[in-house]
Amino acid sequence: MAPPVLEFRKVVKRFDTVTAVDAVSFSVHRGEIFTLLGPSGCGKTTTLRLVAGLEEPDSGEISIDGATVAAPGRGIFLPPEKRRLGMVFQSYAVWPHLTVFENVAFPLRVRRESSEVIRERVGQALQTVGLAGLPDRGATQLSGGQQQRVALARALVYEPAILLLDEPLSNLDAKLREQMRFELRALQKKLSLTILYVTHDQTEAMTLSDRIAMVNSGRLEQVGAPEEIYERPATPFAGQFLGRTVMLEGTFRRSAAQQWVELADGERIPARMDSTGSLIDGARVRLITRPEDIVILPPDRLEPTQIDAIVEQVDYLGDCFEYYLRTAGALLILTAPKKDRYAVGAKVRLGFDPARLSLYAQ
Amino acid sequence: MDVTATTARHSIARVRVRPIRIAELSFVAFFALVTGLPLLFLLGGSFNLAAPGQPAVYGLANWARAFSDPATVNALWMSFLLSGARLIPAIVIAVLFAWLIARTDMPGGNAIEFFCWMAYFIPDFPLTLAWILLLDPNYGLLNSLALELPFVHSAPFNPYSFWGIVWVHTSTGGIWFKVILLTPVFRRLSAALEEAARVAGAKTTTVLWRVTVPLLSPMILAVAVLSFIRGLQSFNTELLLGTPAGIYVYSTRIYDYIRREPASYGEATALGSVFIVALGILLFLYWRFLRGKRRFTVVTGQGYSTARVRLGGWRYVALAACALYIAIMTLLPLVFLTLGSFMRRYGFFNISSPFTLAHWQDVLRDPIFFLALKNSLLIATITAGVGVVLYSMAAYVLVSRRAVMAPVLEAFCWLPHILPGILLGLGILWLFLATPLRFVFYGTTWGIALALMVSDSPVTTQAFRAGYLQLGADLEEAARVAGASWGYTYRRVLLPLLAPVAGAIGLMNFGGALTSISTPVLLYSHQSRPLALLMLEYSVTGELERGAVLGLLITAMICVMMLIGRRLGLQLSGQQ
Repeated sequence: MAPPVLEFRKVVKRFDTVTAVDAVSFSVHRGEIFTLLGPSGCGKTTTLRLVAGLEEPDSGEISIDGATVAAPGRGIFLPPEKRRLGMVFQSYAVWPHLTVFENVAFPLRVRRESSEVIRERVGQALQTVGLAGLPDRGATQLSGGQQQRVALARALVYEPAILLLDEPLSNLDAKLREQMRFELRALQKKLSLTILYVTHDQTEAMTLSDRIAMVNSGRLEQVGAPEEIYERPATPFAGQFLGRTVMLEGTFRRSAAQQWVELADGERIPARMDSTGSLIDGARVRLITRPEDIVILPPDRLEPTQIDAIVEQVDYLGDCFEYYLRTAGALLILTAPKKDRYAVGAKVRLGFDPARLSLYAQ
Repeated sequence: MDVTATTARHSIARVRVRPIRIAELSFVAFFALVTGLPLLFLLGGSFNLAAPGQPAVYGLANWARAFSDPATVNALWMSFLLSGARLIPAIVIAVLFAWLIARTDMPGGNAIEFFCWMAYFIPDFPLTLAWILLLDPNYGLLNSLALELPFVHSAPFNPYSFWGIVWVHTSTGGIWFKVILLTPVFRRLSAALEEAARVAGAKTTTVLWRVTVPLLSPMILAVAVLSFIRGLQSFNTELLLGTPAGIYVYSTRIYDYIRREPASYGEATALGSVFIVALGILLFLYWRFLRGKRRFTVVTGQGYSTARVRLGGWRYVALAACALYIAIMTLLPLVFLTLGSFMRRYGFFNISSPFTLAHWQDVLRDPIFFLALKNSLLIATITAGVGVVLYSMAAYVLVSRRAVMAPVLEAFCWLPHILPGILLGLGILWLFLATPLRFVFYGTTWGIALALMVSDSPVTTQAFRAGYLQLGADLEEAARVAGASWGYTYRRVLLPLLAPVAGAIGLMNFGGALTSISTPVLLYSHQSRPLALLMLEYSVTGELERGAVLGLLITAMICVMMLIGRRLGLQLSGQQ
């Protein structure tokens, strides 16, 4: 396999007493969209800025295309302008005193390209992002979406090793965001770009990424394909942040033949063998699953993976019902199709899918 | 890929030098030399009995001599007394102006605000000359007119007095400075708070004095303290009006010590040191006071309504009052100053052919004038130009978050703000006398420009800092990631974007350099004398008409600059 385009080895970045990036290691391969996903303040933007050279790490090593660009231990630090990167800022950072053409031409002028080359490549870049008609427009006369395209063209115009995108869609309205997401994916495929993408929006992360890194408090909690993280979150945080989750607390029990979780009111749910490795009998645990993986069933059905529940409230949402269900000391909110209807106070059974139940020690 | 790899490998071999660290160190060194060292010389010099540049002899004799002379203590006391006495009327007037401009439906509020800015920039020296011409007991026009009245037997006005100084100060920059500071404060106050008082049954005036002013009292007090401190730095008016009457403030006393033959550097530095200590205590109390005053946080500007107080028919009265105040306090003196410059003998309308062009011809034909004009333009250009480049970079270092010694750098940048011009001049004079710097700077235009540049550092740095913060880091970082070096980014991105700030602050510093007297007054020689000091020389040697001519010329230059500034689209009122 070719060397990774970007590699982080135990990178640490502190601001005063706060550790923004805490011994983070990962690598990004050619032609993939790698997304850093996490809540605001988790360190994902700092990670991106470390790649760009806008921050200097305190320790660890960063390399781009196999060359070390930052290694404080060895006194190496390559300034941002020497890293051959493209970056789209959350604010777009389109220079208001320059025209669209000059904004996009800037990286080429810095590299002292001839004016023919500049004209040709800026034209191409503007064409690519769909701004061919506006080269002489002042940058401040553009809409948010157009500014974003300028920023993108500017980042692409000199074929960077990696394209860094810092929440590029967060300032757009919902409809435009969807469209840009689609175009970005198409562009990435067409130009086989390597993209490091930062977002706090799980939909963006799910639809755009080849791989996602879940970032929490400066650490990577899980790295994997979107489906892998969604289906098998390595930590409760990863599960909660990516989509909705349902959580039940209980006590782990094991006997010679089987293992299960005992819930608050004595209900039991069997546990899969592979997820319980180091747990001892009597450990407090959390059971986490997705709401869509729970089915609401009539009270007469009896399977080992079902528990009792009582309907506390029903809301009509038009295309479905939303149920508030009291069970095992918890209140679960689940949606269900309209074909079955349970009244408030009704007893029901909740059916779990054992393959999609994750178990975490508390 | 190959490009990155090779550049990266080059960097491995290279020892890393961080340019921003070098810049920071250079700035700290620069400020330590031109601000820290003069202050140190000033404080240390007071214990040094030898003349500057001579081997030091330490002792307390300077202090003993300075304080055995009751005149010294009186001068210090008089400084505080004068600054305090004029503060109260000035604050009341400024609050009224700010309230009328920002919170009421008075017509022409923006025009009034613009005039306040204009008035702020009118140099105080010519205005003081103008008031002398109007109020002098012997030939002052207003006195002559008053004596025509049957029941007046002696000249009722005397500018050469305590209250004369206070009066002139209510027409000079200080009052407009307060209006300029207070107007935005009043503008940001949420109207809902006033409306609540109206609904509760309060009249307009009751709302103003019972709600608006108390709500803004911390801000008004802050402006008052700042004005008081600035008032302590005043020199020109006190020199022109106080000295003839034997009223000395510490700044005119220091001027006196240095100008006498032989110069008494020791006493001057002792007096300066006492003042600095007193100022330090004052600032500390101010800081303590401000720290405890975070209670009124209503002036946030968040979700505020801009509804204005309706004055009804009174709004025209208000407008007339504002216009009249500006006319009497600013335009009237300037008109009579102009008139005076064309009179054979000022105030004597009864002599045959009272009007003449002689003063203008005399001044403009004199080679001394052209030398002074050349010096002034040179000094102002250096001060403004070098200052903009230097302090834009210092501000960059301060906002970059990468400065290790940011507090030190910041303290150095702010120091000249509290250091009165005369003390800064004295400290820098000492620096020139005691170090090899004298070969380049002592008595030269470069020396004066350096001193003025130092005095510009607080405001200039702050303006650029605000500019950078408003731009945000993204625009710069985008250029860096796009492959531009810092220098290229500074030239192509930062400087063009900050051009309006640079233009405005450059113009202000240019104007300040043209009019400044107290900073260069101890530093100039006959060869490097700028216009403002030529004007001072004429005025204190009794050639008031010539002084008036130069005062008018300087005022005209400032007005032209203001108009250029307005043409360049610089913001001169708080409303967009």
